[in-house]
Amino acid sequence: MSHPANKGKICIRGWHVHEVASSPDRLKTPLLKKNGQLVEATWAEALDFIATRLKSIKETHGPDSIALLNSPRCSNEESYLLQKLARSVIGTNNVDHGAGVYTNNSVAVLLEMLGTAASTSSITDLDKSEVIIVDGVDLTRQLPTIAGTVLRAKLAGAKLVVIGERRQRVAENADWFLQLNPGTEALLYGAMAKVIVDHGLVNHAFIKAHCADYEGFLAQVKGYDLLTVSASCGIPADQIEAAAVAFARAKSASILYSAGADTRDPESIKAVVNLALLTGQLGKPGAGIFALTEHNNLQGVCDMGMLPDLLPGYCPVSDAKGRSALETLWGSKLPASPGVPASAVLKDRAAGKIKAVWFDRYDPVNTAAVGSAAKAISECELVIVQHLFLTETAKLADVVLPTTAFAEERITFTSTERRIQIADQAIEPPTGIIPAWQQIAEIARALGADWKYENSAAVMDEIGLAIPAYSGASYANLSVEFGRQWPCTKDNPHGTSLLFAEGAGYSFKFAPIAKPAVPVALDKDFPFTLVLGNSTYYWNQNVLISKCEILKREYRMLLLDYPKGFVEINAEDARNMKIRDRQTIKLCAAGGSAITVARVTPEVRSGTVFVPYQEMSQIQQIRGSQGDGPRYLAVRVETEVA
Amino acid sequence: MKARILNRADVLKVVDQLRGQGYEVLAPFLGRGRDSAFDVVSDTNRDQVQLHVPNPYYPVKRFVFPHMERTMKIFKEEGGDIRFEPTYDAPKRALFGVRSCDIKGIYHLDRFFLGRDFKDTYHDLKRKNLFLVNFVCSDPELDISKQCFCMCTDSGPAARENFDLQLMDLGSDEFMAVAGTPAGEALFSAPFYKKCTAAHVAKRADVLTEARKQLKDATTWFSGAVRYVSAGRVADKTWAEIGNRCVECGGCTFVCPACTCFTVTDRQVGPNEIERLRVWDACALSGFTRMAGGHNPRSTVHDRRNRRFFRKLHHYFIQRELSVACVGCGRCAEVCHGDIGMPSVVEIIRRATTESDTQ
Repeated sequence: MSHPANKGKICIRGWHVHEVASSPDRLKTPLLKKNGQLVEATWAEALDFIATRLKSIKETHGPDSIALLNSPRCSNEESYLLQKLARSVIGTNNVDHGAGVYTNNSVAVLLEMLGTAASTSSITDLDKSEVIIVDGVDLTRQLPTIAGTVLRAKLAGAKLVVIGERRQRVAENADWFLQLNPGTEALLYGAMAKVIVDHGLVNHAFIKAHCADYEGFLAQVKGYDLLTVSASCGIPADQIEAAAVAFARAKSASILYSAGADTRDPESIKAVVNLALLTGQLGKPGAGIFALTEHNNLQGVCDMGMLPDLLPGYCPVSDAKGRSALETLWGSKLPASPGVPASAVLKDRAAGKIKAVWFDRYDPVNTAAVGSAAKAISECELVIVQHLFLTETAKLADVVLPTTAFAEERITFTSTERRIQIADQAIEPPTGIIPAWQQIAEIARALGADWKYENSAAVMDEIGLAIPAYSGASYANLSVEFGRQWPCTKDNPHGTSLLFAEGAGYSFKFAPIAKPAVPVALDKDFPFTLVLGNSTYYWNQNVLISKCEILKREYRMLLLDYPKGFVEINAEDARNMKIRDRQTIKLCAAGGSAITVARVTPEVRSGTVFVPYQEMSQIQQIRGSQGDGPRYLAVRVETEVA
Repeated sequence: MKARILNRADVLKVVDQLRGQGYEVLAPFLGRGRDSAFDVVSDTNRDQVQLHVPNPYYPVKRFVFPHMERTMKIFKEEGGDIRFEPTYDAPKRALFGVRSCDIKGIYHLDRFFLGRDFKDTYHDLKRKNLFLVNFVCSDPELDISKQCFCMCTDSGPAARENFDLQLMDLGSDEFMAVAGTPAGEALFSAPFYKKCTAAHVAKRADVLTEARKQLKDATTWFSGAVRYVSAGRVADKTWAEIGNRCVECGGCTFVCPACTCFTVTDRQVGPNEIERLRVWDACALSGFTRMAGGHNPRSTVHDRRNRRFFRKLHHYFIQRELSVACVGCGRCAEVCHGDIGMPSVVEIIRRATTESDTQ
């Protein structure tokens, strides 16, 4: 109840996370593949096998034939050591995390425009926001704790703007729910910027003090027309105007978007940042941009440099100065060219380049949106998996190391408000199982590195040397209260709840955005927009959910109700077309068609059909000759299926 | 009921007495900030036991009705026979420092699990081995939260029954101990229990009066809400307003001392062995009401949300159990993301019914 961010309010996953550790399905010993079968092995055998095979593959195919991928749920210590193993011991930048395919746009845009790839404010400070914009993220399902913070801020008087295609729970509470046509976010933001300019609400003092490239941006904004955008977005012009004016006039206003679980094009993220810069809604209590990370340690995993192109602390791998600092710290030469991202490894082993792959708590066969993961993995010469369970990915492995569960080890995570927090050990792990970070260190030693870490606190001490923003984040400091928000330095040991708070010295950049085209032209032949996106449908394959009794039941319901999958259509559209829930329907696009099942819901916008990413084969059938690519397609819904 | 007086320094001797009698004693400890929790008392942590702490939010209910409990093992024998082996877990256990609201909560569980034709053996066995030491809230800073409303639910600040021993801080340097059962009274044979005088009894009345004054944000319209909910006079749009603020975490049910819902599920633990679990469930979750075949009579969130308040406020249930399924502890208000704990819901119902009441 005393935690500053959640105040003791936890979500349905939090209430059940304790069940993972006590699951009877836990792996208790390492497994080695012998004669095509995974059999129990000793730790010495397994570690020796990994070291020998890695060495030989590196010698034969070079270091860049090895890729190390982890899950955005791994601890900071684990992530830091894994990328250090890759870069300094193996000699490759082929590191990435399982959400890389989604977050990279956000990381890149924020680094370019603000210089920092994280939320600029604190969850705690949302109650100081007069206006809150929630853009495109279903907070109630994805981040209930933040949904609650937003709802309570709204009850206390904040104005709430929700932007998105779906009418989700938070939207029901909005003052302005801008339910836009798919793919028109950047247009909407452009029009909002135009309204702000026209009303004379631009914060010139802020822009003059901190921002570059304003003129180019302004010139483009002037090309927007509110009424045209209103028609393209499908939102009344007065609502766009009211929301924009409220945001600009607010003493402090926040914008929340998801950096995590959904593909977000860089243009619309740039548009979000532009709006905050235009109005100076940065660096004040209750004002800021929240790039919400939808996994417990997505922020930390990125901070630690589990990225193919960025070192710990977001220094590009191509930057000689940044590399040299780490080379001194780590005592070895570092590779300078960016590695291959997880998506490329899982697609086709980066065109066959990757021969060995290491998965730290990552189960792409079950969870990745890339359909070809299993094939790519089974083509590798060496597959190493660290996991609690024998996942679908682990089944394809040559060696599996069982790991500790949450609460069985003392490690840190970094939350979406940059809060570095210790997760203390509360229970003993099963006999013989050492934390995943120690396993990584063992392998590094077996490969000849001189790694000595007495405990996880020693790893954090080294992280402090590698990443300036973590330099004050010793375990001693982190355990005083409820962690520290980075930058947490020796001079500023209490951390930073609000970035860019002190007046001068910041340089931000507007990013001109070419006025986006209206995504799909609808006509009477294809009157619906098909939207691809994430659904909770496949959450049942998530480790936490599949091992917890109540969660298993909750997240399996969609699977039980729609065993053949589904597409979602709006309740009113369904009524007009006389489509019942769970009725078989046909979706036709210009290039192809597919037969599927309708899930009727008031959540999706009228005129759209929502297709979960996981419906790969259907998506391909519908795309047909139109090929891969657009996230949106014009389709027709037919009820005559036969 | 018999009463005795204890010196402040002797209060934890009650814990020693119970441990001496072979009880596993659970008592409140303070964690970080204002967080507190019940934990097993050992020789090493005994001196850290604290009675005046914010009431632990994970309720002591879990020692009577565990979050997750194995109820039986199921074996597949050779030859295909199935053998059931019930597993009872009913340790000799004492809960020290249970607030009056939680005492009422345990009473409500008794009414639910044992009060009618079917008696739940798991609950019965646990209760028979349980010793309850009630602690009366008096400290305005530590004991009483702004969410507390036990006066409206007739469960506090001092429990009147259903405890073995009751302790109250009389201020100065003395505690009053009241025996609720012969087992509680038997403790009084120890020499550190002193005689209780008329002055002590008067002091007790003063402490209670002060405590009642502290419960100033009490949800006094509670009985009004019972009336309106029972008569079906809360409009759908009011329930929709409430439902739209629910994030379906289940927290209100898990922290509620009087919520009894559970689900039963089996899981494989060995090649020929399955365990059957009883796990806390919550009416906020749509799987709770979903039926086999897929129909869900409460498919929208506000239909599930109003279910919680029907269950707690409707006279049908109150009559059925002769006990109200709300004990006024305010935990649901603490834990709720969307501020639709009981106090807020009573207030929403009051506003929606009386302020627009044209009947």
